[in-house]
Amino acid sequence: MFAAIKESSIEVWDHRDLLEQLTLRDIKLRYKQAAMGFMWAVFMPCLIVLSGLIIRYAMARLSGTTLVRADIANIAVKGVGWAFFVGALGFATASLVGNSNLVTKIYFPREVLPLSSVAAQSFDTAIGLVTLVVILPFLGVVGHVSMLWVPLLLVLLVLFTTAASLFLSCANLFFRDVKYIVQIVLMFGIFFTPIFFEPSMLGTRGAHLAMLNPLTGILEGMRLSIVNGHNLMYPLTTLVHGVETPVWEPWELVYSAVCAVGGMIGATAMFRKLQPLFAEFI
Amino acid sequence: MTDIAVEIDSLWKKFRRGERQDSLRDLIPAAVRRTLRGPRPSEELREDDFWALRDVSFAVERGTALGIIGHNGAGKSTLLKILTRLLQPTSGSYVTRGRIGALIEVTAGFHQDLTGRENVFLNGAILGMRKADIAKRFDAIVEFSGIGEFIDTPVKRYSSGMNARLGFSIAAHLEPEILIVDEVLSVGDYTFQGKCIRWMQNVLKNGTTVIFVSHNMDAVLALCNSAILLNHGRVAAQGELATVVSEYYKTGGHWAPKVMDNPTVTTISFSSNLGRDIVVPPGEQLTFAHTFTAAETIDLTPGFFIRRGDRMVTDTSYARMLGHPLRLRAGETTTLRWSLSMNLPAGIYEVGCHIEDLKGGYHDYSNRACVVTVGDDPRVKGDSYVGLKLEEGCID
Repeated sequence: MFAAIKESSIEVWDHRDLLEQLTLRDIKLRYKQAAMGFMWAVFMPCLIVLSGLIIRYAMARLSGTTLVRADIANIAVKGVGWAFFVGALGFATASLVGNSNLVTKIYFPREVLPLSSVAAQSFDTAIGLVTLVVILPFLGVVGHVSMLWVPLLLVLLVLFTTAASLFLSCANLFFRDVKYIVQIVLMFGIFFTPIFFEPSMLGTRGAHLAMLNPLTGILEGMRLSIVNGHNLMYPLTTLVHGVETPVWEPWELVYSAVCAVGGMIGATAMFRKLQPLFAEFI
Repeated sequence: MTDIAVEIDSLWKKFRRGERQDSLRDLIPAAVRRTLRGPRPSEELREDDFWALRDVSFAVERGTALGIIGHNGAGKSTLLKILTRLLQPTSGSYVTRGRIGALIEVTAGFHQDLTGRENVFLNGAILGMRKADIAKRFDAIVEFSGIGEFIDTPVKRYSSGMNARLGFSIAAHLEPEILIVDEVLSVGDYTFQGKCIRWMQNVLKNGTTVIFVSHNMDAVLALCNSAILLNHGRVAAQGELATVVSEYYKTGGHWAPKVMDNPTVTTISFSSNLGRDIVVPPGEQLTFAHTFTAAETIDLTPGFFIRRGDRMVTDTSYARMLGHPLRLRAGETTTLRWSLSMNLPAGIYEVGCHIEDLKGGYHDYSNRACVVTVGDDPRVKGDSYVGLKLEEGCID
């Protein structure tokens, strides 16, 4: 298995110029002949934040509280992360089948196709992040030392997304149903991932269940370290109806990291093993 | 010891006819069925499997050119796809020593919305070139393609010829050690094709090993040192160029009219004055005698044609030449004499004949009644041999 990963890394590194060109192609194509141009990069996160606000507004009204600026900041931070995950998977799943003319005719390490989809999405998300950095101070977010966790969390997010992209693009090549499954899962996934809500709102048991989603640790970690200034080394609890409910537990981060790195190893090994069959089965 | 660049040892490749399971819904019942019946031995052919390659072996010496020829479906492309790592052989092994560059579907990496310039960098990278190398060769690529000022126009506005020329030019600047070429020399107009052939000759001169797949026997004869003929996945002939090419013509599925059920006219003989399988210098004067007999009185227009590969060189018939049909009485035998000069470039030509009556029924035909190999006149080049002479002392 590790021989496969080594071989894969070497070949992709040798073809880094190809990765760059394919990423550039994907980015250019997204904005060529598109009237909104780079506005598209912030449009999707904005929409997510807006939907979140409507839900949070309804929840606040029901419980007799009001929406505060920190709520908007929370949703904005997690919304950008989620938009990255959805966008990257959407493009990456179709990346092998969509480039079948290349896959059947020219040899190159096929990993570069899903990787370039993730890279192109990273570019979009970078624009979203810059926008976020500009907006957050207006939402009452101030600098914290805990923000040092953010780079690690971003790396984990990219790793986890890349692992899922490798796995799904390969699965979709053999079974075209995968594309539809991914579409549905991504559509409803926002309700299974704490974007519009916090795990603690589900009670202790619900919070622990929500933490089983590897994205929970990453996205909640981003929110807590950026908006709340919480150091992720320590657990955090809150009182919900007088009951002490977990908001953050440090093992979430370890769990997400294991999922991201393990997923990356497993997906790369699988991709390598099946790659010789691609041209024949596509 | 000779230096072998590509060595293939007993390569077999199996394909499945018909649909594979492409969705999970089909896979699950199939998997259940397989488990119930137990696994099958993998080397055994199922009824819907077929061999695309059967026991193919050959070696190519460094710096030489091998032509792979064969009719459609013979397994040529499968073989190339294995050599370029796109497919895995079912069994057998191969070794390639050196960096491989493939000229197969040279425009596959193009994206229609990108400009020519952007596509040069994209396609170059897909073919395995480094960015710095592409930048260094960029001007040469554009120059070779003849795209000129249109290089910053999106490729979707290009004509198909421009598309192919640009694609070929990128691939032509790969500078591999082993070059695999699949039927791409037929892109572009006459001038560009000539450019491609000259480029190939240059590549060969520089010591590159070439594997060349083509249906164009002229190109194979002009460029290759040896050849392999594939037929239904097997090596049907191998070795000396002219022999393999002539074998290709023999196995060829040429035009064949449907001969009537009870023909009344039959050919007795058809031969040139020098024989039926001859080698002549260009410009040679030949006479072909076609003798046939009729069982009943009939009006005929016997035909005569010369073919080179898939190309018709000359095609005519008695009535077209003389303006009236030939009347043959019952039991009568006659001989037609077709005479001509072989004003043709070097190559292998097949001479054929057929006997057609005025109602359009075919009594007899032969695609290869004679085979004429025309030799080379090294003093002149070109598409036709016109018997050009230069008179001495004519300079005013």
